[in-house]
Amino acid sequence: MRQLLGPLLREPLVHFLIAGLAVFWAMSGRPADPADRRIVVDEPVVAALAERWTATYHAPPEADELDGLIRDYVRDQVYYREALRLGLDKDDEVVLRRMRNKMEALATSEAEAATPSDAQLQALIDRDSARYAGEAHYTFDQVYLGADTPANRALARAALTRGGTLAAPVPAAPLPARFADSGAAALGETFGDGFAAALAKLPLGQWSGPVASGLGLHLIRLIAVRSPGPVRLAEVHQRAENDWRAAAAASAREAQYRRVRAGYDIVIARPR
Amino acid sequence: MANHARSALAGAGLLALIAALAGCGPGKPTPGKDASHVALSDVPERVYWGDTHLHTSNSVDAFGFGNRLGPEEALRFARGEEVTSSTGIKARLARPLDFLVISDHSDGLGSTKALYEAPRMFIREPLLRRWYDMMHSGPAGSLRATAEMIDAKGAGTLPKSMTNPADGAKRTKSVWYASMRTVEQYNDPGKFTAFLGFEYTLMNGGNNLHRNVIFRDGGEKVGAVSPLASFGQITPDTLWDYMDAYERATGGKVLAIPHNSNLSNGMMFELTQPGGGPMTAAYARRRAAHEPVVEITQIKGDSETHPFLSPNDEFAGYGVAGWELGNLTMDQGKTPDMFAGEYVREALKRGLAIAARTGVNPYKFGVIGSTDSHTSLSTADEDNFFGKHAGVEPSAVRAMAPQNLGARKGRFGWNYLASGYAAVWARGNTRAALFDAMARREVYATTGPRMTVRFFGGWDFTPADLAGDWVHAGYRRGVPMGGDLAAHAGRPSFIVSAMKDPIGANLDRVQIVKGWTDRAGKTQEKVFNVVWSDPATRRLAGGRLPAVGDTVDVAHATYANTIGAPSLSAVWFDPEFDAAQKAFYYVRVLQIPTPDWPAFDALRYHTRLGPDARVKSQERAYTSAIWYTPAAS
Repeated sequence: MRQLLGPLLREPLVHFLIAGLAVFWAMSGRPADPADRRIVVDEPVVAALAERWTATYHAPPEADELDGLIRDYVRDQVYYREALRLGLDKDDEVVLRRMRNKMEALATSEAEAATPSDAQLQALIDRDSARYAGEAHYTFDQVYLGADTPANRALARAALTRGGTLAAPVPAAPLPARFADSGAAALGETFGDGFAAALAKLPLGQWSGPVASGLGLHLIRLIAVRSPGPVRLAEVHQRAENDWRAAAAASAREAQYRRVRAGYDIVIARPR
Repeated sequence: MANHARSALAGAGLLALIAALAGCGPGKPTPGKDASHVALSDVPERVYWGDTHLHTSNSVDAFGFGNRLGPEEALRFARGEEVTSSTGIKARLARPLDFLVISDHSDGLGSTKALYEAPRMFIREPLLRRWYDMMHSGPAGSLRATAEMIDAKGAGTLPKSMTNPADGAKRTKSVWYASMRTVEQYNDPGKFTAFLGFEYTLMNGGNNLHRNVIFRDGGEKVGAVSPLASFGQITPDTLWDYMDAYERATGGKVLAIPHNSNLSNGMMFELTQPGGGPMTAAYARRRAAHEPVVEITQIKGDSETHPFLSPNDEFAGYGVAGWELGNLTMDQGKTPDMFAGEYVREALKRGLAIAARTGVNPYKFGVIGSTDSHTSLSTADEDNFFGKHAGVEPSAVRAMAPQNLGARKGRFGWNYLASGYAAVWARGNTRAALFDAMARREVYATTGPRMTVRFFGGWDFTPADLAGDWVHAGYRRGVPMGGDLAAHAGRPSFIVSAMKDPIGANLDRVQIVKGWTDRAGKTQEKVFNVVWSDPATRRLAGGRLPAVGDTVDVAHATYANTIGAPSLSAVWFDPEFDAAQKAFYYVRVLQIPTPDWPAFDALRYHTRLGPDARVKSQERAYTSAIWYTPAAS
């Protein structure tokens, strides 16, 4: 029996149906017809009103406060039913949005509380391995020459003919001379976009360049490149789980919408 | 009868079901992650960029202003992912941040959302009902309701049920734990740091005395406390008691960062004890110990200095328009005597004066920038600015529209700055490393652009040092920004080195701002131009430099890096050094002029701006100071 039910209980559609049944059960106790002109405030209603007051104010309502709650309840019910009867809920943006919010919260809350299995996360990683792939890391020496000007380019070319030795000292800058095992993203933050891509094209072990960055011109001696290994779930677990949860909530919302919408004929007539 | 009994029970059942599905229970704190695998460098090798001040839909005003994005969206956005803003615009940062503090208001944490979602019949107070109805009437009503709440908070007339500690505690705990779970999920030691924290929204009338509170620890410690509410308090003593109690109980660490001193009407950096009387050494020591950093620039204006205080500083007054009119809620206008207690440079000077009298400097703090964005989106770039709150996300009209946080008049959209970020010289990207860097003040502020700035003070630096490994020399033979220079023979020398934002504008100049107490005990200040672009054509005359020029094309919101320099470095000696005078030195780096966000809006939406709107400016970086203290006589 458990074997039979197990997979079924993990099925999102079954969850949705159970939640739907619960909502149906809850709603079914309400007057189905707003035309019901009998409003009964019985003991359970009064008890529920008192309980919620107590939860808010940490003390039971006094007699006159309870009377007030009941009067308010009746007033709410009278207006609610009368408003429905008059069709005031139609085209009311607040009502529309509130109903939609409740439906969406029902659809997504389960996904937000769920914990994905490693297999689910692995599948997510396999689908978009580029997103989770590690990045190349670079070790290199760097000499900053200043702005990208013809004069500085000439300076760089002259230095390269002397094996990277500059004829004159270069301006100081808050940039390390050696970058050790720096990831492409961190290099992008320091040098601007595309710098790691430019490094990837350089020869190993010798001064080369000049390489242009968002900061100006650089002479580079590339020492080592460490390629990313295959993606390991343990290293990207949290990120994958965050992504999984966000995607599950979005797709639950979308799936519910499609399912519900399937029950409607939608006709769109655009004004010409 | 039976039918109706079921009706009531079922109604309660439905609510319980929704509550259970939405995970509304108080729950448990989530423990933090282990960061021991992150290798730390010997000295700080790179600067980490972040925002210590961001609000999500859990903030009472942010929700009221229309923010529907929670902590998760805020963290995804900070990490560089695309997020859809509350008004439906696709938003993404040009570059991710390295760290983020979600600092939702502790006061009424989650309460606007709770009020909005409450059944109306349970809202007894007429004022709450009014706000409930206004919020449900649409975005305009929601904005008005929130403005009224901020005013009521300033005036101390918030309804009791909003400020009642017992009611608030349960709701706060539930929101706090839920937010903590998300923050811990996104904290990724070595790659991205998500801090636990909150904003303590202290007000004295409409005067802003707000502090952001940041924990060094994870949920296993921070879960022991709830965010401290500020209701009924007018001085930060209760906050400091709370911080002491937290550290004693858990062995953890916590610090506080005051912000918007510019809206305190002179109360943020008082010369006296709060409430009057000379400041005591005990009070000064307490303040300095709890508040090592101040937020100098943010969306609601810049607090470096005001032209009234620094008449000889031609670059004073950045981002003061609008904010100089009065306090936060504008329930009290500003008079010139208030400026001295509002701006950071003057506070650093006052600190020297108080130290001369009491032996303790209460205002020996470092500086950072942050956004104070209420949109869950940490944006400080002029071309990608999502505004102060969800009601002023990009639109055709926001730049020229009146935009007041309280219900009164006075400020306009363009008074708000796309500013700023916090730069932290840390040994690695972990909570501990970043927090410790803030505690030792090795931090600086920018108004948005990510300029790299190094600053060291010592006694034997020479220009020849710049040809070698001056960073390690700086740490070995001197102190970095935020540090102390003890008395020594000779005169101090400073290494300063600044680099442009790799995707931003060139630099105009690097300045050192000195403050000191003179022989008569009066405080003084002076701005020195230290190194600048095009030195062959731009010569100092009477301490002043010709302007760098201006390439801004406002109509197309562009500029060109054909002027300025990508990098500026120098070793500087104080020509007026007097070994007997207490002094501080900090660096200000100015970019060449660039277009401001209203110019981008005008281009994007084909609208016209009024003649007074700010369309271009020289953005800047401010470092924490280095202090010099003479030997005790």
